Amino acid sequence: MSLTQTSPLRDIPQRRTSFAVRLRRFQPATLFWLAAVAALVFLVVAPLARLLVSSFQSTDTGAFTLQNYAIAWGHTRELVAVGNSLRYAIEVTLLSAVFAVPVAWSLSRTNMPGKGVIRALILGAFITPPYLGAIGWILLAGPNAGWLNRIWMAASGSDSGIFNVYTFNGMVWVTALYAFPYIFVFTSAALDLVSTEMEEAANILGAGGLRTILRITLPLVLPAILGGGIVVFLDTVALFGTPAIIGLPARIPTMTLVLWQFFEFPVRAQAAAAYAVPLIIVTLALFSVQRLLLGRKGYVALTGKGGGRRPTQLGVYRWVALAYAVFIVGMAVILPYAALAQAAFSKAWGQGFSWTNLTLAHFGEILFDPESQRTILNSFTFSAAAACVAVGLSLAIAYIVSRRMTRAGGVLTLLCMAPLVIPGIVLGVAFYATYAPPPLALYGTGTILILGYTTRFLPIAYVNCMAGIRSLNPEMEEAVRILGGGRMRALARVVVPLLKTNLVGSWLLVFIPATRELSTALFLVAAHTRVISLMMLDLSENGSFETLAALGFLLLGATIVIVLIGYKLVGRDFMLRRS
Amino acid sequence: MKLTRRAAMVALGATSLGLTAAKAADDEQQLYAAAKKEGRLTWYSGVLNQPIVESIGKAFTAKYPGIQFNGTKTTSQVAFQRVMQDINGGAVQSDIFTTTDASHMTYLISKDKLVKYTPAEDSAIVPALRDFNGGGFYHVTWVGLVAIMYNKKKVSDTDSPKDWPDLTDPKWNNKIAFGSPNFSGLVGVWTVGMTEKYGWRFFEKLSKLNPLIGRSIDDAVALLNSGERQVAICDAASAYRSIKAGNPLGVNYAKSFSLVDFAPSAIIKGSHSPNAAKLFMNFQATKEFSDILVKNAGQPLRADVPPPGGAKPLSELTLFQPELTHIEKELPVLRGKWRDTFGA
Repeated sequence: MSLTQTSPLRDIPQRRTSFAVRLRRFQPATLFWLAAVAALVFLVVAPLARLLVSSFQSTDTGAFTLQNYAIAWGHTRELVAVGNSLRYAIEVTLLSAVFAVPVAWSLSRTNMPGKGVIRALILGAFITPPYLGAIGWILLAGPNAGWLNRIWMAASGSDSGIFNVYTFNGMVWVTALYAFPYIFVFTSAALDLVSTEMEEAANILGAGGLRTILRITLPLVLPAILGGGIVVFLDTVALFGTPAIIGLPARIPTMTLVLWQFFEFPVRAQAAAAYAVPLIIVTLALFSVQRLLLGRKGYVALTGKGGGRRPTQLGVYRWVALAYAVFIVGMAVILPYAALAQAAFSKAWGQGFSWTNLTLAHFGEILFDPESQRTILNSFTFSAAAACVAVGLSLAIAYIVSRRMTRAGGVLTLLCMAPLVIPGIVLGVAFYATYAPPPLALYGTGTILILGYTTRFLPIAYVNCMAGIRSLNPEMEEAVRILGGGRMRALARVVVPLLKTNLVGSWLLVFIPATRELSTALFLVAAHTRVISLMMLDLSENGSFETLAALGFLLLGATIVIVLIGYKLVGRDFMLRRS
Repeated sequence: MKLTRRAAMVALGATSLGLTAAKAADDEQQLYAAAKKEGRLTWYSGVLNQPIVESIGKAFTAKYPGIQFNGTKTTSQVAFQRVMQDINGGAVQSDIFTTTDASHMTYLISKDKLVKYTPAEDSAIVPALRDFNGGGFYHVTWVGLVAIMYNKKKVSDTDSPKDWPDLTDPKWNNKIAFGSPNFSGLVGVWTVGMTEKYGWRFFEKLSKLNPLIGRSIDDAVALLNSGERQVAICDAASAYRSIKAGNPLGVNYAKSFSLVDFAPSAIIKGSHSPNAAKLFMNFQATKEFSDILVKNAGQPLRADVPPPGGAKPLSELTLFQPELTHIEKELPVLRGKWRDTFGA
């Protein structure tokens, strides 16, 4: 049975039916899609509408005003922050591509040794929260006390270090190390599909190795690189953790930091909304550019013929490729985690390594403190709940859209994808403004966090569920219906069982980022619904790196266990495929 | 036997004292019973650090079993931001709020968000702290003392900055660290104090030294211990705590004056556990609580607890405390100015 080759069933033109007939044919499924639409309005439309409206409302009277925009954009430092954020995101995107593309090529197209280890370590970079990586790099590249600088000073006899993480470049470097896996994932997925035949054709026609790469392979995967690049750009513009940890001491204001400052006393939520609206417009514009680029530039590389994919023989250069890959994962994973481990197991990390300085106390502090226990539990339960809601909702909407149950399919898809362009911190602000006040009064509950996470990661779940459902031939559901079953039955007995693997994969792809989400949580957590990311931010305030690092290791350990379970259930590739 | 007037007075006094003690114990039992029903206490602390907050929690729950303790230490501005976020969000989370920026309390009183309460053992608190303009709404539960700190391995005692203006010496270029008034209440009060005494030029000079600006005032302790930076401003207690732990720090009380800051605590109106909150306010006035502060190199609140060894007693220092009304008026302006001068 082939699931992939569908013969699209044309909709049979329907006669106009009377209301009575419609009522008789009424299926519970109709209610089901109405519910799905209502959920989207609740999760996406209402918060965004609230944000837009409040940006034009006077703080005191609620009357229409443009004052908020004047407050939000009235100082040069707010404009400087926009410039910084854009420059930051562009540089991170470029650097990420430099990190990702060569490694993706080596892994997917060559005979470079050690592929398994490199792949596992890239996964390690993927699951590292960027703010934890940033802390690791503070320990490594603090200008005077960082490990790398101490080694340099010891080796060269110089009295000053050579790396300084507290600079714009430092911030770009650290961010790119944890953002490049996005481009890597997109690029390797595309490279895996390019058949060697095309490269061989180029060779036969006289092109050398480099020329083939530049003229054939690279253009073929360029759309994928751009796609990953846009994701990195959107992610970086909206990043809060790394700028808070590195940008603040380095005195580099970014848009996300300015947004946060509007919530300092006196709170100017309306001004924050006025600052956020243009931010969304900018990201929306970028997203459209991506669609435009990808829409134009596409090559059909996946054909029915299974083209051979022989690895390029690199000869001695395979060691060069390996060295580069090791360099990247060393910077992203090995070195920072070594530094974090030193801190996590030290009484005082500043005193360096010695047997008397070793302790397990920081792990004990976290594991045996009831409050930390609850914080950790909160993170995992809220994330699990959000993953369930996001996958359930995405499945329902993907089904509705792909089976053309409504003519508004395009709108539904748009709503599901909209959160992609909303920075997490803005989403948090919008949810707070919409659902904290009565009648729902959700502030202080786990529900508001679950809903926030659901919205934030809805696009990931939706893209995955859509891909799954597209792979199903509707014949099977039609068989259910011919045999007298309703749509719900078809969904429950056919679609869900067939997509089990896909659904578990989607669930994990929401769950894992949700456990470390910081920016959405920032304004939605309350004392009793605190999550790990907020605990880390609070700990970073006064340089308690030891406890913070221990907490990071616990989070990492838990994530690795979950990823392993995911591999077991879904197969090896669920994290590193294009999603 | 002739009953003298004096004896009568003494006897009367003794009985009333006994009665008060009995009544206080009775009140406390009632409060405890009510607090136990509430089952938990939440504290947003802008003072101390997370481990000390937790050890206070342990002492509190040991004394009053059955009340779960949640204490979160952040910088005072962040704690206040969360208090306001809770209040505006319609779900007050913290029963107790402690801040190094007392103007937060003035604001909360003006919005009718605080509960008036005087701790049972208030009379045992040092008079100077009791007189702090709380109007019964808030009470000083922590005393901050801003001093100069340096890493002894990198800076000799003779070279170390002795007074505030010494910090602006170009030789500290790339070597100085401090917190930010946009996060730390203590740094905020210090900013107000320095501006009052030396004008904003003081900060303009500092900004030329490429300072490393953390959030909390205590951030600098970690930065100095690791050798990342060499001189900083500090809360004296945090510095002495770190010295006790074996770190190579030195503390100079600035020659002209040490900046002192009274950090009050208050009960937030409409919180989940108003009784547990009162119990905790009582607890902060006990000898036990002052003992914990002193054990962590902090200043005691009560006269019957001696100040920590090693640190100079307050009586030997020239102290300066900016007026509360001045902090209220100036700090919001200076925080904006800070962003313009330091860039973040």
